[in-house]
Amino acid sequence: MTDAYPPNEKNVLEVRGLSKQYKKGVYASEKVSFDIRAGEVFALIGPNGAGKTTTIRMIATLLKATEGDALVAGYSILTEPGKVRENITYLPDEAGAYKSMTGMNYLKFMAGIFAPDKQSADEYVKRAVDMCGLGDRLGDKIGSYSRGMIRKLLLSRAVMSHPKLAILDEPTSGLDILNALEIRRMIRDLAATYKMGFLLSSHNMLEIEFVSDRVGIIANGHLLNVGTPAELKAQYGVDNLEQVFERVVKDNEIHVSSEERA
Amino acid sequence: MYLLKKELKELLTPTTIVILILCVFGLTALGSIMDSEIEESSEDTGKINICDQDKGTFSSAIIDAMKAADYEVNEVELTGDDYVQQLKNLDLTSVVIIPQGFDKQMQDIIASGAGVELKPVNIEMVSRLESLSLTGNLEDGSMMATTAIDSAVKTVVYSKMGVTPEQMAMLEAPVALKETTIVGDKQAEASATMLSAYVMMSSMFVPIVIFLLIIYSSQMIMNAVATEKIDKTLETLLSAPISRLSVLLAKMTAASVVSALYAVAFLIGFKDMMGGMTDTISGAIDSSVVSQLGLDLSMGGYIMLVAQMFLSLLITLAVSLILGALAKDAKSSQTLLLPIMGMVMIPYMISMFTDISALGPFKWVLYAIPYSHTFMAQTNIILNDMPAYFGGLIYQLVLLIICMGCAVKMFTSDKIFTLTLNFGEGKSKYAKARKKFGVKQ
Repeated sequence: MTDAYPPNEKNVLEVRGLSKQYKKGVYASEKVSFDIRAGEVFALIGPNGAGKTTTIRMIATLLKATEGDALVAGYSILTEPGKVRENITYLPDEAGAYKSMTGMNYLKFMAGIFAPDKQSADEYVKRAVDMCGLGDRLGDKIGSYSRGMIRKLLLSRAVMSHPKLAILDEPTSGLDILNALEIRRMIRDLAATYKMGFLLSSHNMLEIEFVSDRVGIIANGHLLNVGTPAELKAQYGVDNLEQVFERVVKDNEIHVSSEERA
Repeated sequence: MYLLKKELKELLTPTTIVILILCVFGLTALGSIMDSEIEESSEDTGKINICDQDKGTFSSAIIDAMKAADYEVNEVELTGDDYVQQLKNLDLTSVVIIPQGFDKQMQDIIASGAGVELKPVNIEMVSRLESLSLTGNLEDGSMMATTAIDSAVKTVVYSKMGVTPEQMAMLEAPVALKETTIVGDKQAEASATMLSAYVMMSSMFVPIVIFLLIIYSSQMIMNAVATEKIDKTLETLLSAPISRLSVLLAKMTAASVVSALYAVAFLIGFKDMMGGMTDTISGAIDSSVVSQLGLDLSMGGYIMLVAQMFLSLLITLAVSLILGALAKDAKSSQTLLLPIMGMVMIPYMISMFTDISALGPFKWVLYAIPYSHTFMAQTNIILNDMPAYFGGLIYQLVLLIICMGCAVKMFTSDKIFTLTLNFGEGKSKYAKARKKFGVKQ
């Protein structure tokens, strides 16, 4: 990882008016602004097609922003995407891994890409092995893994380098309750111990409420509200984040797809 | 380096390694089996099965002469006109029958006076069609028998006419043809038909190799890219601290290396497999004449051929990379192979039967297909048609630059994630219905 740090050293991410326009007048994400401090877990929630993944992909330098900018550890996603990538890791929703590789070889391969030297790479692999809890199964081909095992492997890959910002899209999808709880605790520990910033996206409001310091509600490409779970619940006068989500959807007459309703 | 190693490991799976080994040893072994089968078949068919229904002086003399000449003669008995069951029972595929009255016909020729009209002497050949393969119906033995009978009858006729053996030889071949073939600025005494048959037979495996190589390599890289995109491993990789160009180059390099390994394996395998067959046919040609005319590929010729094959391969990889990135799922990646298969199949099939450059205006359509130049390369090199060779090479080079430019542009832009080909999916009435009722696929 690079030694550079943002001018405002409390923030690992500063998003300023970030927009993505696919066609003229059609915005997937419009003028989105928020910050993530070091050691903070920030969650983006919203209905399908709200612009969460587009925003995340722009921050991960996968998509180019049409307006605005975001600074990751002080580096612009527009002008210094290479430096940004040195300071982030990204775990897409429903991501897979190379099925012909063993779990161990996958970790070694990814560590080789992220680590500045061999010693660091070995250290990253050791951390990931400890975190994923796959034991002897790491010697097996990933093609033989269950969905939950792949998710644990990918999660440990995403945090093994202790990046300044870890972007996790639906981090616990495919995991059973116990494993999901373990992952949530791990995220909180890493944020507290290593001051890693986390940008999460999830449809599991219980998870968001448990793991997040602050939540951003996004709909129709706009960031409608940002606050702690407690602040948002108080603001909408409800008991949990699911009800907050429902209120936001109703208040803004947002179309929710059949999948979301299910 | 990590990327290249990963890509090589992904492409060089145990299955692909087994296929590589099978290509070399399997095809070589197949060639040996084919050679021995042909040899065995020619041994079987070399046996003369003869049925002497006449049992006269002449027929007996002819059979004795065949035996004396060390032919393997198998005398059989056939009666009547229904040969189906008789040949089946005797397990024979071909029999030459000397019918009753043969001796009398010969005696009539000898006894005939001047001015008497001579009639041909009748014999019969019965063959059982058991196979439609090229080598399955060779009946050398029966052909040898009919030639021997033909020769014996001629001797009797010529003798009756007072023709000397020297005159007989003259009558058999009254015209001595001296054939000279010119290739480029060289000439040699040889038959152009035989030479072209020799060149065709000795190099017929090259288009097969090109065809297989292009189909295999396109499928290989298309699947690799489509799988990376569908599994979202590409998103993980492109968000890592490495340049997108290095990801693209690693994929291209690894696919080129694996394809090159396949090219070598195919070349060795097919050359060995077809070696025995072509040796038999090319035996009739003096190899020094082939060299004299430059009809065998020199080292420089091979390099030129490999250069054109390599360019075709790179075009295939670049196009497949783009198409693989456009695939929506594994099924659509297979469908996307069709344009490449079509572009290879058309010139491959046409070049098997005719010369592309002699096709009139249609040739320009074929020239637009890059692979046509690859299939024509060998002929162009052998016939020293350098303008045609380099024209094709430059055209392929320009196409490669364009295709690579498109691949780079796609890999370094949002399109790698946002662009997919749906084959009219969005326009179908079912898709519209799905959209209307919010049903997800």
